[in-house]
Amino acid sequence: MSNLIPRRTFLKGIGTLMALPLLEGMLPLTALASSAKIRTNRMAFMFVPNGISMPQWTPSGEGAGFELPEVLAPLNVIKGQFSVLTGLAQHNAFDLGDGPGDHARSAAAWLTGVHPRKTAGADIKNGISADQVAAGKLGHLTPFPSIEIGCERGAEAGNCDSGYSCAYSSNISWRSETTPVAKEINPRLVFERLFGNGDHGEAVESRIMRSRYNKSVLDFVLEDASKLKSQIGIRDQRKLDEYFTAVREIEERLAKFDRITASAGMNGIRVPSGVPQDYAAHIRLMGDMMILAFQADLTRVATFMFANEGSNRSYPMVGVPEGHHDMSHHGTDPVKLKKKQQIDQFHVTQLAYVLGKMASIKEPEGSLLDNSMVVYGGGIGDGDRHNHDDLPILLAGKGAGSLKPGAHMVYPKNTPLNNLFLSLLDRMGVPTETLGDSTGKLQHLF
Amino acid sequence: MSLAIAGAFVAVASVSPTAWQKKKTAKPQATIAPSFAKNVKPFIEKYCTTCHAGPNPPAKILLSGLISSDQILKDQTLWDRVVRNVSSSHMPPLGMPQPSKLERSTLVTWLETTLSGNCKLKDPGKVTMRRLNRQEYNNTVRDLVGLDLKLADDFPSDDVGYGFDNIGDVLSISPLLMEKYLHAAEVIASRAIVVPDVKPVHFDGENLKTTPGASVSEQNQILFFSNGQAYFETYFSMAGAYKFRAKAYAEQAGPEPAKMAFMIDGKAVSTVEVKAVLAHPQEYDLDINLDAGKHRFAVAFANDYYRAGPPAEDRNLIVQSVEMVRPIPKETALPESHKNIIFEKPTDANWRPVAKKVLARFAGRAFRRPATVDELSRLMQVADYVNKDGQPFERSIQLGVQAILSSPHFLFRVEADNQSTALNGYELASRLSYFLWGSMPDSELFQLAATGQIAKADVLKSQVRRMLKDSRSDSLADNFAEEWLNLRKLALINPDPAQFKDWDENLRTCMMTETKLFFNGIVHNDRSVIDFINAKYTYINQQLAKHYGIDGVTGDEFRKVSLVGTPRAGVLTQGSILTLTSNPTRTSPVKRGKWVLEQILNAPLPPPPPNVGVLPDDGKQIAAASLRQKMEIHRRNPMCATCHKKMDPLGFSLENYDATGRWRSKDGNDPIDSSGVLPDGTKFKGSEELCNILIQKKTDFVKGLAEKLLTYAIGRGVESYDRCSVDEIALACESKGYHFSSLIDGIVLSDPFRKKRVVGGKGK
Repeated sequence: MSNLIPRRTFLKGIGTLMALPLLEGMLPLTALASSAKIRTNRMAFMFVPNGISMPQWTPSGEGAGFELPEVLAPLNVIKGQFSVLTGLAQHNAFDLGDGPGDHARSAAAWLTGVHPRKTAGADIKNGISADQVAAGKLGHLTPFPSIEIGCERGAEAGNCDSGYSCAYSSNISWRSETTPVAKEINPRLVFERLFGNGDHGEAVESRIMRSRYNKSVLDFVLEDASKLKSQIGIRDQRKLDEYFTAVREIEERLAKFDRITASAGMNGIRVPSGVPQDYAAHIRLMGDMMILAFQADLTRVATFMFANEGSNRSYPMVGVPEGHHDMSHHGTDPVKLKKKQQIDQFHVTQLAYVLGKMASIKEPEGSLLDNSMVVYGGGIGDGDRHNHDDLPILLAGKGAGSLKPGAHMVYPKNTPLNNLFLSLLDRMGVPTETLGDSTGKLQHLF
Repeated sequence: MSLAIAGAFVAVASVSPTAWQKKKTAKPQATIAPSFAKNVKPFIEKYCTTCHAGPNPPAKILLSGLISSDQILKDQTLWDRVVRNVSSSHMPPLGMPQPSKLERSTLVTWLETTLSGNCKLKDPGKVTMRRLNRQEYNNTVRDLVGLDLKLADDFPSDDVGYGFDNIGDVLSISPLLMEKYLHAAEVIASRAIVVPDVKPVHFDGENLKTTPGASVSEQNQILFFSNGQAYFETYFSMAGAYKFRAKAYAEQAGPEPAKMAFMIDGKAVSTVEVKAVLAHPQEYDLDINLDAGKHRFAVAFANDYYRAGPPAEDRNLIVQSVEMVRPIPKETALPESHKNIIFEKPTDANWRPVAKKVLARFAGRAFRRPATVDELSRLMQVADYVNKDGQPFERSIQLGVQAILSSPHFLFRVEADNQSTALNGYELASRLSYFLWGSMPDSELFQLAATGQIAKADVLKSQVRRMLKDSRSDSLADNFAEEWLNLRKLALINPDPAQFKDWDENLRTCMMTETKLFFNGIVHNDRSVIDFINAKYTYINQQLAKHYGIDGVTGDEFRKVSLVGTPRAGVLTQGSILTLTSNPTRTSPVKRGKWVLEQILNAPLPPPPPNVGVLPDDGKQIAAASLRQKMEIHRRNPMCATCHKKMDPLGFSLENYDATGRWRSKDGNDPIDSSGVLPDGTKFKGSEELCNILIQKKTDFVKGLAEKLLTYAIGRGVESYDRCSVDEIALACESKGYHFSSLIDGIVLSDPFRKKRVVGGKGK
């Protein structure tokens, strides 16, 4: 191998070796090169259901240098790189006269700050979510405006929660009032979406011809859709609009990023083979996918649901063969409280893996985590009481130099969580004055 | 729910014809006003408006200020809820003054009659345009092109509304899903149609993948520095003789020349010596017959050699490129899908008219109605675009097919918005085929649609017979039954392995199979739907028989087995239902009771109030209590009692079945107590007596099943204006011996199924 330089060595030479134990290899150079010029900021929202054991989550002291409580202990490895925000609330997740359904309502309201309409089917209505506000404004800069990932399929049976459609409890990302953004739960499919589907039985010249043909198909179907519009009623038109928007978005991406995707050869990157049996491995692999997408600047906005709201998954790996939702209704039973805490800690352990990995990836200025803002938490405080004030919210990363993490911030009770989102949107370069029930930007944010 | 409702329902049935007859001569208000004044208004004022009044009434149900019966007809949805809650004795709540049984049944009868009174003016409703859901997509592709590709398994989940995942309003399209649709269309077209192409396909570092031991050079060559592979995996749409040609050389070292292996699907099929060196690379061939399907082709370095020097000796293999030459398509080797789509071979001169015929037929089936002139001319533009590149005829058709499969007319089931109440023949054929088959109409249905015959009641009925016998009607089990019975939850339950030693994935699959075979048995044999409650047979294999403690069943295959002499009967004692209504570590009488109320008795409870799960603070008393005692403490709280008095006894009667459905006589050391008392005072014990109680309420069951099947059939929630249709469907089923097909007949003949609201929404 004297006269040939393996690509790996070549990459090392320009100082961009990625530390990816699972996905050892390289990314399209075009993508890396473009992200190297400007310091980019990313925004991720990671969601866990059924509330969190708040006494073991909330630090006792205030301000910088706080002690890590039990649930947060796994984050010791990146201490100083995240803050805990106490006192934030999602008021619109409360029943406000609509009766039960806190699980569905809180997931729907988590990033929207809007009170979702109570319906099991027709006329779902929520609000646009914070991530989609950013995606809408920044989407043109990257191949994917945003990515939505998770570990559980949307529920496929029965009513999800007390008369609420399953769309509410299994989606936190909402493109518009009526359209939740579906998430991908199979790491292999996320990978194929980001880097192409890897059916390489095709030569380069025919790939170019194929992409030209695919565009002619898009022209055909867009005309189909516009002719159809005049023949159908208003409700049907709403469905057709979803079709239109989706096709146009794909069309735009093809027009702008064809060259990048075409060169996204992926020699050496190990493609995930599917959904791992082991839940921890599943969460981590999805986290790897999110990191990969950020790293290659394929997107700057992500949402990641560890599980759907109300999930009753069991956690035998940490000694909890019972269901999560059942344990979250602890009724102050010390055994259940302990088990709930073990589940919470399990989730935070996986979070620590993702954040730790982001912190280990070097970028021109700081680490990937330094150039990101990661919100972790949920829309329920105590799983037993279903309260939506005093939410568990953690914010990691330095937001490309715009945040100084490492403190326990305590805000006045009932401060809208959406105020935090407005502050983060500012830092994404998407200044927004109101969103949902926001009352302003979050004051004293570091 | 008390027995009074069953009585009330029968009363309605016998009363309504008279109500209709009277309407001919008098205004409805005139007929019903006396009882409104005498029975209804006083009832509401005496028992309801104590709470349901003021600016913030409970559950947003405001009942004060009732002056005339017109108000009731104006807000049918509200009064539907009133009937439901009063008839089930849910309202007035415990602790408030209770009406007598007679007062209650009089009110219920009056309201039911009034609300059904305008059946002749009923509104057939409007179904929002339905996107194909995942199962429908898979089935439709299977029936349309003849390839069972199951591509939709990788699509995101379809959201669920009203308990089903085929509800138009809830089925949305995200960019992610749209990408998958576009990609799937391309995959289907490329697999269904073979494009004759003898030009070799070229591979190098750009499009070959490597395993450790191989890497890609800057010149896109494959460098094997150790024993590794370079490979590609693709779908070979045609069987036949393929040629692979690798251009390679080696950096020679050691006692023998470098060796290169050709591998197919992981197995070396030929190994050659690569004696060539950098100055003169050579071509090495593999000729091999391959079946159609997915294959992985690889070249591999078979004899790496390295000796640390000095001088170091290092043998390496370099593959510059690989070419694949595909066989010339022979008519006999073409896949069926290809021959079905391209049913006529063109000459150079007439390719356009033939292409038009081919695309017209495919579009007509894919869109489930004939393609329009405009659609065809635009499809021909797509075909022309390809043809101008000098591409073969088949490639033109391939792209046309891809465009058709990406079109909203394929992905949505479009029903035109116009002045006609009746659906047209094609729309009706699609409703029928997606209801019973979860797929597109077949040629017989298309024919009946074209002639309009399909709209005739007797034609519809005979089609129902035919379609239920067809194996495609298994989709009722795969979709309807899975959702109606909540079977999809079975996949999410993980019973504690420490407690349930015989639990494994196989048992989970067996349970699912049992319930689906049972459902299919009722469909295909046109059994009585009451079998769901009390059938003394089921379908099991050895593993499940052992789990149930039934002797004499050996082998893996499922068969019909009698349950006579065992306490089991119907779906309720099947492992699937008993497991999916349990917690991972124990049974849940509450979940089981709730399941019986919702799925069997059609009496869903309102959701629990906030702060559920917090038992009253009775301290140590609770910690030491058995599950039953805990539930009894729970029920002392009047806020909980209203519902738990209904759920708990139903669930406790199933306590002899553990959290995986095994029979047991003890829970730990405590003997099982499976007795219970219903709110109306009925005492009963065990699953067999529960079964008897359910049989007495079979009217409720049939009505509930009718409602759920109707929801599934039309893809929208059942609304208050559907009340008459549901009553008619249930009644017809009852009068025809409860045969499954009579229920389906009732649905396909109903207005909500056959008609649509006209523009303007008056629904005449």
